[in-house]
Amino acid sequence: MKKLVSLHRIYFSLLFSTFVLLFPNNLSAEDLRKVVQLAGYWKFSIGDFPEWAYPEYNDSDWETIKVPDKWEDQGFNEYNGFAWYRKEFTIHPIDEDVPIYFVSGRIDDANEIYFNGHLLAKSGDFPPHFRTAYNQKRKYHIPREIIKFNQKNSIAIRVYDEYLEGGIIDQPVGIYIDEDYEYLDFILSGKWKFHLGDNKQWKSENFNDDIWEEINVPSEWENEGYEDYDGYAWYRKEFRLPAELRNGEIYLSLGKIDDYDYVYLNGTLIGSVFHLDKDSEYKRRGWEYNARRIYKIPEDAIHKNGINMLSIRVYDVKWRGGIYEGPLGIMTEPNYKQYRRKHHENQSFWDYVIDELFID
Amino acid sequence: MKTEKRKKFVFTLFVFLFGYSLFASQNDLIKIIDLKGQWKYSIGERKEWILPGYDDNSWATIHVPSSWEDQGFYGYNGFGFYRKSFALSEENKGKTLYLNLGYVDDVDETYINGHKIGSTGSFPPSYITAYNANRVYYIPEEYLNFGGKNTIAVKVYDSYQYGGIVKGEIGIYVSMFDVRLDINLQGIWKFKPGDDFSWKEAGFNDSKWDEIFVPAKWEDQGYRDYDGYSWYRKTFYYKGTFSEETIVLILGKIDDLDQVYINGKLVAGTGELNSQINRKAYTGEQYKAFRGYFIPTNSLKKNEKNSIAVRVYDGQGAGGIYEGPVGIVTQRKYIDFWNKRRTINY
Repeated sequence: MKKLVSLHRIYFSLLFSTFVLLFPNNLSAEDLRKVVQLAGYWKFSIGDFPEWAYPEYNDSDWETIKVPDKWEDQGFNEYNGFAWYRKEFTIHPIDEDVPIYFVSGRIDDANEIYFNGHLLAKSGDFPPHFRTAYNQKRKYHIPREIIKFNQKNSIAIRVYDEYLEGGIIDQPVGIYIDEDYEYLDFILSGKWKFHLGDNKQWKSENFNDDIWEEINVPSEWENEGYEDYDGYAWYRKEFRLPAELRNGEIYLSLGKIDDYDYVYLNGTLIGSVFHLDKDSEYKRRGWEYNARRIYKIPEDAIHKNGINMLSIRVYDVKWRGGIYEGPLGIMTEPNYKQYRRKHHENQSFWDYVIDELFID
Repeated sequence: MKTEKRKKFVFTLFVFLFGYSLFASQNDLIKIIDLKGQWKYSIGERKEWILPGYDDNSWATIHVPSSWEDQGFYGYNGFGFYRKSFALSEENKGKTLYLNLGYVDDVDETYINGHKIGSTGSFPPSYITAYNANRVYYIPEEYLNFGGKNTIAVKVYDSYQYGGIVKGEIGIYVSMFDVRLDINLQGIWKFKPGDDFSWKEAGFNDSKWDEIFVPAKWEDQGYRDYDGYSWYRKTFYYKGTFSEETIVLILGKIDDLDQVYINGKLVAGTGELNSQINRKAYTGEQYKAFRGYFIPTNSLKKNEKNSIAVRVYDGQGAGGIYEGPVGIVTQRKYIDFWNKRRTINY
């Protein structure tokens, strides 16, 4: 029996390492649904001109290249340096407040992405103070106000490759939405107030956050202008509870947060990753960043008729930080149960693998 | 002995697999003038023998390539001079031309129309042989007479046994994938082994530094077995003709890592070269990477001398800016070059 267990372990180790190798920095893409396929042929040019970011730029004389695939295998062997990818596409309307993302596999080494001419985000750094991000998958939140539904949209990706292979390397490439938003009865994603640092007063509903920065939620703060920041930061959001949610049990879903969170509603602590049941599917030891935050909203903490203030204190140990994945919002009990069931079923196998390997 | 042999085999295999380049390497050079055959030859060395006007009628005639021992100079070791004239038609104007001198046993210094275009190995007293290096020298256009006569003069030193221009596909070549440089930076640079950040400054006085040819590995130019940091410096004139915001500084290939300063300011680099080499950063892959750096045009001063300083780190083996082209081009030209190259290759 003892022997059987260890064999199991070897088997799972192999399986797991294969999994890790195949999907570096896995984005739990199973919760995202592709709404526009962008893998295929793109316009491509080596070089670097700022006007290539704009939708109206005429790229008809550009080369055509397959995405994803390194450019070295497509006639640009030995090329290092800047290159741009451009593509046009149309997108059907998407329910309001459902977050929309550009998702791609690894891009080698650093890139900026422009959507309809707007700079969305940057990964890595360009020279002369170059920093690679070649081993990271890309997931960029696209603000709804820059998307033109049922019309042509333009994506332009500026890539810098230091050496060896370069370009948009891996699948998938597309526009994605978060499927879990179907379970929400009230959506809380979008613009939130944001401040770096830590101050106990920021939990208070009376605190004035007018001068705070705005940030897209969910999105790792590295993609929102806070590259390399680790440590404390606070998120704040004001909302009114819709009438249909005023009776019955309700739950606050905060998706996934990297790494720790303390959630205050009108100044009262209502949840934290540390309060999640250790044996539940939502949290495993040392995997706080991967735990689905869902907290029951106590009846005495919420203002059923007035304005509510949600304040979230986040601590990021290292690398990616912040409220980085949805769904964000409020669920009724039936939806909450369905949502739990879905993720329990989806994750149970890997939970088992991970538990087998790492938790005794 | 056996391991030696295996090492050699592995090395040869390595060169066969990776040692080619699509730029100035022989694979992509097309011979336009064959220079194999009768050359003028004299033992000894004299300054005026490099000059195109020098009368070499009284010299011996020798077949190139072959060792001078096989051509009537049996047992001779020491200095010898080769001279050869050739005509170059007008239609070659605007092309990037190279002299492939083949293999020279042991050391050479090569001139065209009295201008030095390259040197490989090191003459006595600090003698270093480079008998196993194939010489390919870039010829700056301003040294050439188009529609007229051009004279090559090669000073050779042989320490023992066979000597001279012994083998190779000797001739004038044009690059198949030609990037015509707007500012040519190939040729003589200032060079110093070591590492000091004051060497990046535009005003730094490098007059006491050694001279080195770029592109060529430093092992062939008197720095055998040197690994570690060294700096290259050069000044060049910029007329202010670029209209683009960003231009491309081509440094060819560098073994292994580099950091580039223009007028004292860091503009580009490959590999992490901080105060200490990060062991992870030196992967042993960077030396193969072709460097085409995008630099802001306003990092150059108009109608003035500009300074370029390249800090190089060599981890092991060959080192330095070892393969061209080296110079500055507009982005438009650079993009056309890569697209044309794709059309031909892909």
